[in-house]
Amino acid sequence: MAGTAPAVFVALEQSGFSAAIRQSLWAYPLANIGHIVFLFVFAGAIAIMDISLLGGFAAADRGPVLARARMVAATGLLGMAITGFVLFSAEAGHLAENPVFQLKIILVAAGLLNAAAYEIWLRRRISALSSGAAMPAIAKITGLLSIAIWITVAACGRGIAYF
Amino acid sequence: MTKIIVITGALALITCAASAHHGWGSYDAAHPVTVNGPILTLSFENPHATITVRGNDKTWTVTLAPTSRMNSRGATQNVVAVGNNISAYGYPSTVAKDEMRAERITVDGKTYEMR
Repeated sequence: MAGTAPAVFVALEQSGFSAAIRQSLWAYPLANIGHIVFLFVFAGAIAIMDISLLGGFAAADRGPVLARARMVAATGLLGMAITGFVLFSAEAGHLAENPVFQLKIILVAAGLLNAAAYEIWLRRRISALSSGAAMPAIAKITGLLSIAIWITVAACGRGIAYF
Repeated sequence: MTKIIVITGALALITCAASAHHGWGSYDAAHPVTVNGPILTLSFENPHATITVRGNDKTWTVTLAPTSRMNSRGATQNVVAVGNNISAYGYPSTVAKDEMRAERITVDGKTYEMR
């Protein structure tokens, strides 16, 4: 099954670190639970950001709302990255070959690029919007992309076990 | 408001899926098999404990449950130890050759549910 996986992932799966995760009664289930809990943290914050970018919370001062939500989203993302690495390490060789996992990683990269593009080209403009001002169309596209990408990422995460 | 409801609904669906069982999709529940024989190897590891069993026709890889569940059901490392005779009822994999996922196992006259 792990016949064609890149050597680096096979080596990771065979490492002492990965073996310790598999042999521990609690490491894997705890990482699994943590991954979902951090998903909630991340999804909640991302929902606030995306709804805002789609024109919601127009009465609020959106700069501070987005800044606060961004901090929470980054915390959730970091938590998912750490717990995700633990889950991945336990079965690295197999997961690297899993088509749904591959799609998930590509989509995570797309989601991060979308967020980075926003940070670089849009953030200053959006933060400066006064309360009640309309969202520019480009911000709405960014928000819609974000929702679509992250929901698909979550669905892929669940789908890995079925393929 | 509609938008918020739609998003909440989508997240709720994902959460339901997340709490459901995983990994039974690629096993053929329409053609269950029972493998009887001695346990050749044991890997008491997460995400699922696995054993190999020398059956009548061939050596099967039998996927069991997560280790914490194995322990809570009483199917400890000593029960599924190498050399013990086992009867494993389950479903053959549609993906991996000679692999099956056990629904329940019987060792020494005692049956343990794996699901």
